[in-house]
Amino acid sequence: MQNQLIGDRRSFLYGLGATLGTVAFNAMLQAEERPQAKGPLSPKQPHHSPKATSCIFLFMEGGPSHIDTFDPKPKLHDLHMQEFVRKDRFASAMASGRRYFVESPFKFRNAGESGIPLCEHFEHLTGVADEMCVYHGCVGESINHPTACYHLNTGNRFGGDPALGAWTTYGLGTENQNLPSYVVLPEAAYPQGGSANWSNGFLPAHFQGTALRPTGSPILDLNPPAGVTPAVQRNNLDLLARLNGEHAQRHPDHTALAARMESYELAFRMQAEVPGVIDIDRESAATKAMYGIGEKQTDGYGRRLLLARRLIENGVRFVQVYAGGWDSHDYIKRSHTARMRTVDKPIAALIRDLKSRGMLDQTLVISAGEFGRSPDNGLRGGVHTAGRDHNAAAMAVWMAGGGVKRGHVVGATDEIGAKAVEVARPIRDLHATLLHLMGLDDNKLTYFHEGRFKQLSQVGAKVIEELLA
Amino acid sequence: MRSRKSANQFFWLSLIFAAAAMLLAPDNSRSQEKPNDKRAKAAAKTLFLDKVQPLLNKRCLGCHGAAKEIEAGLDLRTRAAMLRGGENGPAVVPGKPKKSPLLQAVLRTGDTVMPPKERNRLTPAEIATLRAWITAGAPWAVADTAKPTNWKNATGASSVTMSTSGGLSADWTNRKYEAADVWSYRPVQRYPVPWNALGAKIDSSVANPIDAFIRRQLNEKQLQPAARADKLTLIRRLTLDLTGLPPTSAEIDAFLADDSPAAYSKLVTRLLQSPRYGEQMARHWLDVVRYSDTAGFSNDYERPNAWRYRDYVIRAFNNDKPYNRFVVEQLAGDELDPYDPELLIATGFLRMGPWEHTGMSVAAVTRQQFLDDVTNAVGVTFLGQALRCAKCHDHKFDPLPTRDYYRIQAVFAPVQFVDRQVAYRPLENTSHLDQLKIRTERLLAEAQTILNNLTKKKKLARAAYLKQRGVKNVNELPKDEQPPSRLGLSKLELSLFKIYNKRAAYFNREMKRYRALCFSVYNGPPNGYVSNKPQMLMPSKANRRGKPDDVFILAGGSLATQLDEVSPGVLTAMAGANDTVTSTAWNTIPNTSDGRRLAFARWVASANNTLTARVIVNRVWQHHFGGNGLVATPNSFGKMGSKPSHPELLDWLATWFVEHDWSIKRLHRLIVTSATYRQSGRHPQRPAIDEVDPNNRLLAYYPPRRLAAEEIRDGLLAITGELNREMGGPGIYPEINWEVAMQPRHIMGSVAPAYQPSPTPEQRNRRTIYAFRYRTLPDPLLEVFNRPGTDTSCARRDETTVTPQVFTQFNGQFVNDRALALAHRIGKMTTDGDKGVDLAFRLVYGRLPTADERRLSAAHVAKMTLHHRTQKPVPEKLPTSVTREMVEELTGEKFRWDEELDVMKDYQPDLKPWDVGPETRGLAELCLVLLNSNEFMYVY
Repeated sequence: MQNQLIGDRRSFLYGLGATLGTVAFNAMLQAEERPQAKGPLSPKQPHHSPKATSCIFLFMEGGPSHIDTFDPKPKLHDLHMQEFVRKDRFASAMASGRRYFVESPFKFRNAGESGIPLCEHFEHLTGVADEMCVYHGCVGESINHPTACYHLNTGNRFGGDPALGAWTTYGLGTENQNLPSYVVLPEAAYPQGGSANWSNGFLPAHFQGTALRPTGSPILDLNPPAGVTPAVQRNNLDLLARLNGEHAQRHPDHTALAARMESYELAFRMQAEVPGVIDIDRESAATKAMYGIGEKQTDGYGRRLLLARRLIENGVRFVQVYAGGWDSHDYIKRSHTARMRTVDKPIAALIRDLKSRGMLDQTLVISAGEFGRSPDNGLRGGVHTAGRDHNAAAMAVWMAGGGVKRGHVVGATDEIGAKAVEVARPIRDLHATLLHLMGLDDNKLTYFHEGRFKQLSQVGAKVIEELLA
Repeated sequence: MRSRKSANQFFWLSLIFAAAAMLLAPDNSRSQEKPNDKRAKAAAKTLFLDKVQPLLNKRCLGCHGAAKEIEAGLDLRTRAAMLRGGENGPAVVPGKPKKSPLLQAVLRTGDTVMPPKERNRLTPAEIATLRAWITAGAPWAVADTAKPTNWKNATGASSVTMSTSGGLSADWTNRKYEAADVWSYRPVQRYPVPWNALGAKIDSSVANPIDAFIRRQLNEKQLQPAARADKLTLIRRLTLDLTGLPPTSAEIDAFLADDSPAAYSKLVTRLLQSPRYGEQMARHWLDVVRYSDTAGFSNDYERPNAWRYRDYVIRAFNNDKPYNRFVVEQLAGDELDPYDPELLIATGFLRMGPWEHTGMSVAAVTRQQFLDDVTNAVGVTFLGQALRCAKCHDHKFDPLPTRDYYRIQAVFAPVQFVDRQVAYRPLENTSHLDQLKIRTERLLAEAQTILNNLTKKKKLARAAYLKQRGVKNVNELPKDEQPPSRLGLSKLELSLFKIYNKRAAYFNREMKRYRALCFSVYNGPPNGYVSNKPQMLMPSKANRRGKPDDVFILAGGSLATQLDEVSPGVLTAMAGANDTVTSTAWNTIPNTSDGRRLAFARWVASANNTLTARVIVNRVWQHHFGGNGLVATPNSFGKMGSKPSHPELLDWLATWFVEHDWSIKRLHRLIVTSATYRQSGRHPQRPAIDEVDPNNRLLAYYPPRRLAAEEIRDGLLAITGELNREMGGPGIYPEINWEVAMQPRHIMGSVAPAYQPSPTPEQRNRRTIYAFRYRTLPDPLLEVFNRPGTDTSCARRDETTVTPQVFTQFNGQFVNDRALALAHRIGKMTTDGDKGVDLAFRLVYGRLPTADERRLSAAHVAKMTLHHRTQKPVPEKLPTSVTREMVEELTGEKFRWDEELDVMKDYQPDLKPWDVGPETRGLAELCLVLLNSNEFMYVY
């Protein structure tokens, strides 16, 4: 009896019972050849031919300083430590009062053949600079972390609306029905505003982002409680299928029943498939080293980026990866140095890795924070702490891969980096551009809710043509 | 939804053809029929004003009129200019569509194609309009100024000009609406009950009017209603609808045994009197108002005793507070009677939205955010009309001018936040406050001690530093020799100082619970809130006097561009609500600081208001028919919302409701005693129905629904006998997924204290409505089953089936624990295998198993028990501390600290596998299956 009921995962899969199990198993075999027919997540025709079929969004949470990363401002050297006073009805307490200009403590280099300016601490990015399209024109509206995060993620500052990834999967479906279509790789602490940053909003729940957690169970309750063997599960499932089957006979017209029965099958396919996909130990030592896995500073982020690549490779449509800690109000030299070194090597590896696998052309990589930082800083209790406050009028954004210009700088900020002045466009235009690259038209990608057809850009937007290859 | 769009188009087309036919007719008989000629001219002018002019404005004038540079010299702003034409000659030849270049251009057949962009091409309906108008001689007309809306002859497709406070442009002000699109603004009418639909011999003193209205539309489609549902189905349906809990076995037995004709009526009475009723209704209401115990955004701070509002809502439903009174109390309770604590608590409604002001917010912006939020919330909640669409421009579809938006906003301009001192009332549950307070005080003191020690350390180091340099005061030292303020603290201690500072702030706020504060408002001039002030006390009388902020129309919704100043007002499109002559009209709102909200609330809660009663009647209806309202979009009664499936029934119910003292309980009784409600979910003619009425809007059969998230959790606890039915009081902390509970929750500059469940099963296993609700920490069990977020109003829950539900329900700890508790409960009642199976079916489904089910289930239990005999569950230890990690902003480096989990030290877990024998564990496997089954999850 014991042997019959305790098996490993393989026998769990192959030994599935005669009822639901067989169906599930057959479906799983088929799923490898073709996606399942018509579910809400089955692949859909884009509006036009896409440049990219999947997207990796690198979210730099806290607001990285454009002035200290991609957008050098020599003029600030002349103004360094000059004081001024700001009084403005539309300035926050943070941005008001006695302030002083702060020059960047970093040196810049012109990287690659394209000569894109990069901060000295982006050593590895230098090698992939010719793949990057740095964009200095993006303009936000909010300088409060959660509202700005919501804005960049959902197009609405106040939360509750669907995120970019939700809209994308709503428009395109997904290639692998055994994995979530829209995956978020947060740090241990979720960003400000929490999981509303990857909400499905008013779209059906199928399009919600699934957070793959860095510790513990990657998907909540993916595995049965401790001590429950696969065989016990199989027995329970079989009985459930029998009881549900008899129930369905009593309610033959109730179509929701079949969908719910099917979700149990899908769950167990996912239970079997997810652990393999997220197991980065299946990668070679060289690949892991390239991503900085095993090194103290880069291990966590490197793992998440490598996982992002594995997910995309396995048919996930949209992956968002968080890297926090960019909120450098004080002593930006120390804090931004550490942040840049944390992401530099893994990001360079991601781009190289995608390229060498021939995936970069169809994968859109974008990196952005919720806002940029100010060229000036407030006094902290009378002390000059050489940091920067929040600034929504300019930010650090770059893209690479599917459909964007390679080795380009698009747009510009003013001479001190206070605000975008060339190709200056609102976040909704960036959203429309990302959708456009993935074959979707923001004006056509609508969902009827609360009395109107809603869209990601809220009020309509224009594609930023300057970014397109 | 899209299909309605095309239905609309069809409707338009037929209208145009009808208009065209009318217009063409007089051409053939010009000489004789004078009156006809006159009518045709009038019709052509109407067509111009209603359709053609708006079309030209929208599609053509951008280049051919409004712009400085007129394209190709063609100006389409006047008839003369149009006939004169541009560079390429006349644009229109009256009466000759084929010779009119304008029409040819929009047909896109020739060289000139207009509008130039393909995506802007005119719809066939628009082209037909133009053709009909040109055919009729292309007459021009000037619109009359708006008169009171004339509803008399307005039916369906006929157009009406809506009298409003006026749009930002005359075009908008004078535009016309199809009567069918503005149905919710016309007076509610009392239609006669179509008794004959039920057959010739109907005793209208016993028959239910609802059935007559429903039957009439079924008859029109030649459909029959379904048979009456069986009694078991009925008691489960009714009990879940009215209380959110499944019926107990005893309740089922009693009902099945009662053969008297009054059995059902008695059941309805019992359920409406149950305190569980108010809890279920409050759940629906809190969805609409976005109830939460926290504020959201960066800090997601606890709100001062928001639970008092939650309990107020439960009391209101249980006491069957007349709905018109309920409306006034929430909008203006403080103005109605500032000494009635219940009314002060009720005004918490006005502050329910997410809101935060920090050092990074602009005060003018956060203030405006509140005003926009409350304006929209009032529209959505009470009027079924989102007002937000009119914030930046006159409403695109509905007769809602931006002026009205800001006039309604002006009603709330005097509203200021206050955490009022309102003594707890005897009917409020404060029994746990003392115990909770001891804990908060302890945690606060602990954080304070750590902070004090660090401060002491700094002081000592500073003193030593000064001593070493032989000075007594810092200022005696030259600037570059003064010690840094962090002197004496290590890097880690510096970081920890910030962490514990935040922790102290957090518990300081929690202390507010114990001060009988209530989340409320007062009227007054702007009070300039300070960033993150832990508490907003009532300012002095002097500071409450003074003029409230003036309110201006904001161009494009931007604070920087003020247009006209407005005075407080109402929705003027509503029948009778745009009386600008009578100074005492029901739509008059005083411009004083006090009294605006009360007057507005009375306008909302008036029987004359064409929206209020319809909206609430529809909400109550929807909860009885599987989430399907007579209007399928309960928060959206405008043009783009769904049209009522049974408009006459909706109106009849609305008037009946008002006549019956706005009593929600009586409305429930009327609905649930109808044959329509009591019919079966199965119908023999189902395929035929699906063809005619695929969405079951005609209600030929009862629409099944899935249990709502709270009904799943509460139902599980009720079935296992673990549910503590205690009512009210501060939020409790249920057991949630441990990984989520322990996950760091980001709050500005730190991590929030860990989520720890209430220490005893009795305390935490209460109904879900009493669970503390964080905006940024939803209970994953509830979230996965479509419990909505708390940022936007939810009128109707989704019922999506997604895979993570399976993980939660089949693998998750909460449901597995309930399965074990159920097996344990059964084990105490019987040790016999078959009897155990019978009991499990009875408790979960309310019925006995079939012979087949019994055989299968008993075999399953036996097999599983055998398996569990070979397994020894390993006790799992709960964490007593958790390690936190953050990036220090100053250095960009990570640091760690441990957080003690104080509650976990004396935590009483629920029953666990290692507490019971293999028989119970074996039976629990069956219970888990039943608790996952469709029969448990759906209501028929």
